[in-house]
Order: sequence, then structure tokens, then C-alpha cells
Amino acid sequence: MKILIVAEFAAGALKKSAHELSSAARAVDAGVELHALVLGPGAGAVASELASWGVGTIHIGESGFETYAPLRWTRAIAGVSKSLNPDAILMGAGALSRDIAGRVALRAGGSLASDCTGLSSGGGFKIVRPTHAGRVTVGASFSGPGPLVATLRANAFSIVKPAQPGAGVVVNLSAPLETADLRALVTASVQAPGTRPELAEAAIVVSGGRSLGSAENFKLIYDLCDVLGAAPGASRAAVDAGYAPHSMQVGQTGKTVNPALYIACGISGAIQHLAGMRTSKTIVAINKDPNVPIFKIADCAVVGDMFQILPILTDEFRKLLK
Amino acid sequence: MKIAVCLKAVPSTTADIRPAADGKSLQLGGVEMLVNPYDEYALEAALKLREAFPGSTILVVTAGGDEAAKCVLHAFSVGADTAVQIKAAGLSARGAALAVAAALKEFAPDIVLCGRQAIDDDQWEFPGALAELLDAPHLTAVTALSVAADGKKLSCKRRFNRDEQTLEATLPAVVSCDKGLNEPRAATLKGRLDAKKKLPALKTPADLGLDPAALNSSLRLDTYSPPPQKTPGKTIALAAPEAARELVRWLREDAKAI
Repeated sequence: MKILIVAEFAAGALKKSAHELSSAARAVDAGVELHALVLGPGAGAVASELASWGVGTIHIGESGFETYAPLRWTRAIAGVSKSLNPDAILMGAGALSRDIAGRVALRAGGSLASDCTGLSSGGGFKIVRPTHAGRVTVGASFSGPGPLVATLRANAFSIVKPAQPGAGVVVNLSAPLETADLRALVTASVQAPGTRPELAEAAIVVSGGRSLGSAENFKLIYDLCDVLGAAPGASRAAVDAGYAPHSMQVGQTGKTVNPALYIACGISGAIQHLAGMRTSKTIVAINKDPNVPIFKIADCAVVGDMFQILPILTDEFRKLLK
Repeated sequence: MKIAVCLKAVPSTTADIRPAADGKSLQLGGVEMLVNPYDEYALEAALKLREAFPGSTILVVTAGGDEAAKCVLHAFSVGADTAVQIKAAGLSARGAALAVAAALKEFAPDIVLCGRQAIDDDQWEFPGALAELLDAPHLTAVTALSVAADGKKLSCKRRFNRDEQTLEATLPAVVSCDKGLNEPRAATLKGRLDAKKKLPALKTPADLGLDPAALNSSLRLDTYSPPPQKTPGKTIALAAPEAARELVRWLREDAKAI
């Protein structure tokens, strides 16, 4: 089997999603012919890291990929796909794949499965993916035509380093600029302040509900996040009340998260919220009301006042983790 | 400007959606169907654009079974000019993009607005696929949108991983809309009454020159199951300091989560 992964990187290192993609590809087929495509300035710097994850051939595009343009990225991925004819193209389920995976799949002559939580082979591919914001799990199968373009949900695939590195042969992409590909492009980009992890990728998420009462009180959530290296989240009610930005919303009309640990503070657990976080490995809920729905899916239900508990919790972890 | 808006009817966010007993389909009988929440931002953006560019026309396109009529009625009630309702139940996102692209050919829109994702299949596939079929650029999940006075360029803002991006694009373009772009208006009583007098153009895939079989996804959906059920776990009901310390102990020793 031949699989192409689209590897993303930041600050000279692969993102965790690239570890997951390469591990998933090798889990599908231990003898996989594994290719990676890396786009952007500095892409070449992650070639040896990719080899250590078992990648045989690394396709690098640096020149002309300084500024993100969806059509240029689409052309590069579909172009490598056309020349390799892989069985599957894997991308991390994130901003990049949400932007272009549908377009890539169509142009590459294949089909898209987004946000997969399971992928295996057997007469083609077997796919597991949640729909309806996690309220339903669909099992699907694909046997062509064209490549399966699968985006893999963060934290859903085990990361396993191979015993032997891949050959790591570097191929530089020749991708002449097509002006038509610049019909939409990024003209300015400002990094959001702070060093907290991305909500959809974080290993730990601490979320607050409307009962926090104000944007200022969300500091209780942010403080615990910073001690734990967690990403802050919020319920829709808290976002609609203006206590937190929409980029923090967890649930059906926000982000779906799948962390190893989810701590819900003052969140009752509306069905739309549960849909966005129920696959979290360990769920802790802190709430004054012993009858809130979120306690039904919590691995640990703390009945009590979060305004008292959170500062102590933050202090305890600050002492333990420093 | 010629403005197209794509709407999909989806189960209400509070609907109780369950797989059928045999796990081969979903039980959607009796489930309330509504306009996909993200598509509402697209419709509002269209109405705002028509206000900014007097003389513009808004064409609404929807595809699906009988539930698609909900989208048409809602769009007319807030002031859409015309609508095409494609009669094709159970379409995949790809199938919907093929059908909508065919339906838009004659209208030749300057801008196509849609939601960033449909909240039923959660594929995030339709806008990019539609743009590919229309040979137009696409912009995903925008939270701000403005069209230049000459009607030839647009500027958008969006969150992309950690970045706040500004994008510019030439028209025609496909724009998918995110929460935060606007506050969708509610229909007025007069709007609702007027909407009942308007009718959509009803089209079958064959009317659009499409082979219905070509709209089928090559992903075969085999099974539907409920998400893994969790059994309620441990409860901590202690005074705050003890509760916090017991939670720390549980997280580290029992759950091994930190």
C-alpha cells in the first residue's frame, strides 16, 4: 500500500499531527510505502525528523509557498497525488484540511472522509468517523476510485515510533507559480497572543460555563490551564454571554475536542456541549448541582463550588508540577 | 451583484438522533429539521451584501428530500429573491456540490455563500468541492467579509490555527461562513406571509443534466452506532480544600491523567 501524508510543522519541528499521521499509516499497513509532503519555508528542516517516523520519500515545497494560498496548496497536494497515485492521502483534522481537503479530494479524483477516529485496511479502507457532532458513529468503507483523502482527528490515533527509520529520500517539488492559484490568498496574518495549545489539539482542556458569571472570572479557568499546559474552552452559553470568544467554544456549533483529560467547570452539559467533548478519555466535571447531565458521562464528578475549588486545585498543581 | 446562498436542512441541534435498531440507518422520523446554523450566517451575509449593493439579486439553492422546503421558506421569509430546490434525498456533501454547481451554472453568481460545515455530516467538504466545480477560489470559515465597491474583490478575516488571517480574493468566489460573521435576522410576520406566495424552482438531478447515480458517494456507509456510552464514575462531595486535594490525587494516581 502507498500512503501520502501531508505533514505540518511549526518552529522547525513536526506538529504532533504528523506523528499521528505517520503512525496511523504504518498501523494500516506495516509494509506501507510512506510518502510525506511538507509545504512552506523551512519545510526541508523537518526531513530527517520525518525519516525517523518511517517516511521513505519526503516531498518538499519551499519556494513559492511563503504565503498561504488555498489553491496553490491544493495544486501541490493533488499534483503529488497524481504522480504517486497513492491509496490514501492523510491530513490532520485542522485548519488546513478543513480549508482544502474537499477540494484536494475532488481534484485528485478520490473521496473525502473528515475527522476520522479509526482507519484500517481490508478490501480497501474501513473508516470510523463521528457525525452529528459525535452523537453518531459511522462505519464506512472505501475501495476507490482514486485515493481516500482522510483527515484524522487529533488524539484519536496512537503514536508509535518505528523500530527502523525510513529512507528519508528528499524530493524537491517543482511547482511553478500559477497566477490563477493566487485568486485567494492570505495578505496578513497575526499570531494570537499567548502560548496556550490549540483547543482542537490539546491533550488537556479546561472549560468554563456561563455560571462563571463574567469574562473576568474566566481567569480561574486560564490560571488552571497555564499550570497544566491546557487549552481553555467554554460552553456555548458562556460564549453567547460574551465571557469567552467563539474560538473557545466546545460543542456542536464550536469545536469538537478529543483530549486525554477534559475538565468541565460550571458546565451543566447541554446535549450540544456533550457532543463536542464526549470522546475525551478522562472527563472531570465540577458543579454545585449534583443533578447536572454532565455528571452522567463524567469519570469523576466533583460536587462543589468551583469558585472555591479551582484556586486550590490550581495551587496544588502549581506546587506539584513546578 | 448576483449572490447565491446554499442552504441545507439538518436535524435540530437538540434533536435526539439515534441509529435504527439494525444499525444500518438513522432514525430521523419526527426529528425537527432546521436550516443549518452556519448557513444562517451565509444567508444574513447575502442580505447585507444586497443592502450594500442595491439592485443585487439573491438566489437560494438547497438540495435534499422534503425537508429542504424548510430552507426555501425561511430564505423567502427573510427576503431572498428566488430559490432553486433540488429534489434529491440523502445526498453526500460531494453529491450536493455536484448538484448545486449544475444549478448555479445559468445564474453565474459573483459570490456564493454557504456555511463552513453542515452540522449533520460534519464533513467540511461542500464549499471547497463546489468552488472546485465552479473553478472559483474559496475562503473557509470567515468571521468578517467585505466586498470592494467595484464588486470585483473581497476581503475576509478568519482564525487559522493560532493565526488571525486576512484574506483577499477576486470574484467570483465561494465563501464559507463561521459564527461571529453576523447576527442572522429573524423573519418578520409580513415576511412569513409573503414567503408563502413565493415558490422555488423545483429541479430533479435529471433536470440539471445529472445522472443521479453520479451523485452517490463512493464512501459506503455501512454502520451507524451510538457513541461509546460512559458509565458514571467516582463522585467527590467534600469541602473545597479536601475536594481539590482528592481530585488531584485521583487524577494522578487513579486516572493517571496528569
